[in-house]
Amino acid sequence: MAWRIEKRPTSLAPAPVWAFPAALGFAVAVGTCIFAALGANPLAAYWVMLTGAFGSFFHFSEVIVRAIPLMLTGLAVAVAATMLLWNIGCEGQLVWGGICAAGTGLFLAPHLPPLLVIPATIAAGAAGGALWALIPGVLKAYLAVNEILSSLLLNYIAIIFMEHLYFGPWRNPEGYGFPGTAQIAEMGRIPHFFGTRIHLGLVLALVLAVVLYGALRTTRWGYRVRAIGLNRRAAHYAGFKIRRHIVGVMLLSGALAGLAGMAEVSGIHFRLQQGLAVGYGYDGIIVAWLARLNPLVVPLMALLLGALIVGGEQLQAVLHLPASISMVLEAVLLFGLLLSEALSRYRLVRRPPAANSDVTQEEEAT
Amino acid sequence: MTASTPPVLVLNAISKQFGDIRANRDVNWTLQAGRIYALLGENGAGKSTLMSILAGRYQPDSGTLQLKGRAVRFHSPAQALALGIGMVYQRFMLVEPLTVVENILLRGGRIRPRRARETRCIRNLAEHYGLAVKPEAKVRDLSMGERQRVEILKLLHRQADILILDEPTAVLTHAEIDSLFAVLQRLKAEGKTIIFITHKLEEVLTVADDIAVMRRGRMVSQLAADRVQSRHDLARLMVGREVILNVDKPPVTIGEPVLSTDGLSGPAGTARPAFQHIRFDVRRGEIFTITGVAGNGQEDLVAALTGLAPLAGGAITFSDRTYTASQWARRPTSGMAYIPEDRDRTGAIGAFSLVENFMLTRLGTFARSFLVNRRGAEQATVDAMARFSIRGSGIQGQAGHLSGGNLQKLILARELSRRPDLLIAEQPTQGLDVQATEEVWQALLKQRETSAVLMVTGDLKEALSLSDRIAVMFRGRILDIVSAREAADIDRIKLLMAGLGEH
Repeated sequence: MAWRIEKRPTSLAPAPVWAFPAALGFAVAVGTCIFAALGANPLAAYWVMLTGAFGSFFHFSEVIVRAIPLMLTGLAVAVAATMLLWNIGCEGQLVWGGICAAGTGLFLAPHLPPLLVIPATIAAGAAGGALWALIPGVLKAYLAVNEILSSLLLNYIAIIFMEHLYFGPWRNPEGYGFPGTAQIAEMGRIPHFFGTRIHLGLVLALVLAVVLYGALRTTRWGYRVRAIGLNRRAAHYAGFKIRRHIVGVMLLSGALAGLAGMAEVSGIHFRLQQGLAVGYGYDGIIVAWLARLNPLVVPLMALLLGALIVGGEQLQAVLHLPASISMVLEAVLLFGLLLSEALSRYRLVRRPPAANSDVTQEEEAT
Repeated sequence: MTASTPPVLVLNAISKQFGDIRANRDVNWTLQAGRIYALLGENGAGKSTLMSILAGRYQPDSGTLQLKGRAVRFHSPAQALALGIGMVYQRFMLVEPLTVVENILLRGGRIRPRRARETRCIRNLAEHYGLAVKPEAKVRDLSMGERQRVEILKLLHRQADILILDEPTAVLTHAEIDSLFAVLQRLKAEGKTIIFITHKLEEVLTVADDIAVMRRGRMVSQLAADRVQSRHDLARLMVGREVILNVDKPPVTIGEPVLSTDGLSGPAGTARPAFQHIRFDVRRGEIFTITGVAGNGQEDLVAALTGLAPLAGGAITFSDRTYTASQWARRPTSGMAYIPEDRDRTGAIGAFSLVENFMLTRLGTFARSFLVNRRGAEQATVDAMARFSIRGSGIQGQAGHLSGGNLQKLILARELSRRPDLLIAEQPTQGLDVQATEEVWQALLKQRETSAVLMVTGDLKEALSLSDRIAVMFRGRILDIVSAREAADIDRIKLLMAGLGEH
C-alpha cells in the first residue's frame, strides 16, 4: 500500500474555505524566516507592523488611504478578469486618470462653475483611464493582440508621458525647479473626512464595489460578461457580441483604474508629481486575485494590502528594516493562495502501488 | 500467409468505458505480421478508442493484449512504442519550429546527440521506404503529406513493427495518397503490420488485405479483402442493418416551407469549401434530416445556417424573407432555435446554475430591459424541469453536474420554449441512454406539429425513425433527398452515405 496523489475527478467544486487562512499562514511563516535572516526578532517585527497599521486611529486612517487606490484598481482587474481579460495596464490607466484629473483641476477649473469642478474632475479621471484601456481593448477584440502585453507595455508610455508633462510643459514655473505641476486649487480637491487624509475616493470605491457586484449578478450585461468569461463558445452560440463586450469591459476596467489616479491626484498629492505611479496598478492584480474576483471582497483585500504597505513602512522607520519586505509578503500571500487552490484540485488517496514504470510483462492468466 | 504462423498481436475481450459510454465491448482481434488491416466503422463506433489502447494511450478496463506471444500491458505510448507499436494520429504530433531530424530524435523532451550519424540513418530509412522528405527541413514548411511521412519515419526510427494510422488519407491529395499506399506496400513487404482507420471504401479495396468492421463498440465483422465482392457489400457492413424503431408518429399536415436554401457554399474564407451547391427546403410539419458519415460538411453547414460561421455564397429564404450570404450572418437570431451537438461546451455553461443556463439563449425574454428577471427565469426552469422530467439537484445546482440526458433535456426545453419557426437539432441523442433518447425523440416529433424541424444526425436509426425526408451529404454536397418510407429507400441511403450515388 502506498499514498498517492491524484487529481480530483471534478474541478467544478468551489475553492476551499481553508485556502485563504492557509495562504495567510504561509505568508507569516515565510515572513518569519525573512526577519530571522535579517537578524530581527520576528515577533517584534510583526508587532511593529501590526501596531503600525492598526495601533491608532491615525495609523489605520493611513491604511485606508493606501487601500483606496487598491480598491479601485482591484475592481478594475477583477471586472476584466471575470471575462478572462488580463488587464495588466491599470498602472498606465491610473496615470492617465491622474493626468486628466490634474489637467481639469489646473486648466479647466477656472472656466467651470464651481459646483461642476469636482464632477468634471472625476469624469475626466475615469475617461482618461478608459481611453488608455481602449487601445488594448480594441487591439484584442479586432486584431487578437494579446492584452497582457499591450496593456503592460502601454504603462511605460503613460508614465513617461506623465513625466514629460511635469518636467516640461506643465511644470510649475514657481516651483524652484522642483519637478511637478502647480497645486490644484482648493475647489478642485475632493473632500476629506474626519480630519484625516481619507477622501471621497473611499466612498466612490465602496459604492462602485457594491454596484459592480450587483451589476454582474442581476443585469443582462453582467450575465453576458460572466457567460463570456466562463465559456466563450456557449456565449457565441447564444449570440452575444463578444467583441463589443471585450471593448466595453476594457473601457470600464480602465475607467476604474483612472478613478484611482484621479483620487490620488485630487485627494492626496493635489498635483502631478513623482510618486503617482508607485505600483497600485500592479497591486490591484493581487487584490483582485486574493478576492477571487468578487467585487465585494475587493475592499477587504485592499485593506489587507494597505495594512501590509503601512506596516512595512513602520518596519523601516522603527527597526530600520527594508520596507520592501511588505512586497515580499504580498507576493508570498498571493503564491500561497494560488498554491492552495492548485493543491485543492488534488487529493491524497491510499492505494496499492501501481505497476512500476517499466514495461510489465505478465504471464497470461490462464 | 499461412495459418500456422503465430499471430503478431492478439486482442482478447478488450473493453473500455468512459462514464456511461461503452466505447469498446469485448473486442477480439488477431493480427498477422506482414498484412495491411483496414478498420472501418461509423464515427463513435469505438475505432479510435481501440487504437489508443493498442498504442498505450488508454488502458483497457478489462481484456488482455498479447504481443508476439507475450501478454503485455502498456501504461504509456512510450512503452507501447518501445515494444514496437506506434500510432500516427490524425492531428500530427510534431513540433513545427524544429527540423525533421529534430522531431524524429525528440524523445522525452530532449533531442538526442550524435546528430550527424542519426541524420544519415534517417536519410537511409527514408530512401529505403520511399518516404521522400528533406531531413533538414523545418516541419512548419512541410505539406500535410510530408508531415505524415515524418510521423511514419518517427515510428520506423524507433523500430516499430506495428504501425497504426488514423484516417491517414483525410488530409492528403490524390498524388500523396498514391505514394502513401506505395509506402504501405513496401512496409508490408518488410514484414510490418499496418492498421489503418478509414471511411473511404475505395481505399480499403485498394490496399487492405484484411477488413475489420466495428459498430457501437463491438467488432462486428472480420474478413479478408478478396472476399468482398463490391463496394456495396462494404457499405452495408459498415452501416449495418438498422431497423426502424416503432416510434409513434402522429400524422401532421405539411405546411409551407420555413427555410429554403439555394446554392449555399461555405464557410467563407477557406480555400476548399466544406459544403457547396446546397439546396433544400424545410417545411412546417416535417422533420427534415441531413445525414451522412461525420466530416462530410454537415457540421460546417449547420454552423452557417445558425449564423455562427459566415457563408461564402448562396441565398437563404427564412420566414418569407430572402437573405444573401452576407446578410444572413448579421440577421437577428429570432425565429430559429438550435440544439448544438456539443451540449457540454456549446449548449450550456457548466459552472452556471440550471436557471442561468435556461436563460442563455432567452435573454430577450428574461432580460428584456436592463435587469434580469430572475424570478421569471426560475419559474420557467421549474416548469421545464417538471415537463421534461429533468432530474438534478435543484434549479440552483450547477449544470456541469447534470447527466448528459438531463442536460440535453434542459437545452431542449430551453430551445423549444423560444417557440421557434424552425428548430435545428444537431446529433440530438448522441451519447444518451435509451430512455433519454426516447424522450428527446418524442419532443422532436411533437415539435413538428408547430414548426419545421431540421435534424442533423449520423445515426441512421434515428434518421429513419423520425424523419419525413432525409438528405444525404457526402463530400460537401447533398447527393440526394430521399423519403424514408420503404426498405429500398433505406438501402439507397446507406449507399449514398458511402458516396455511391450513381446507382
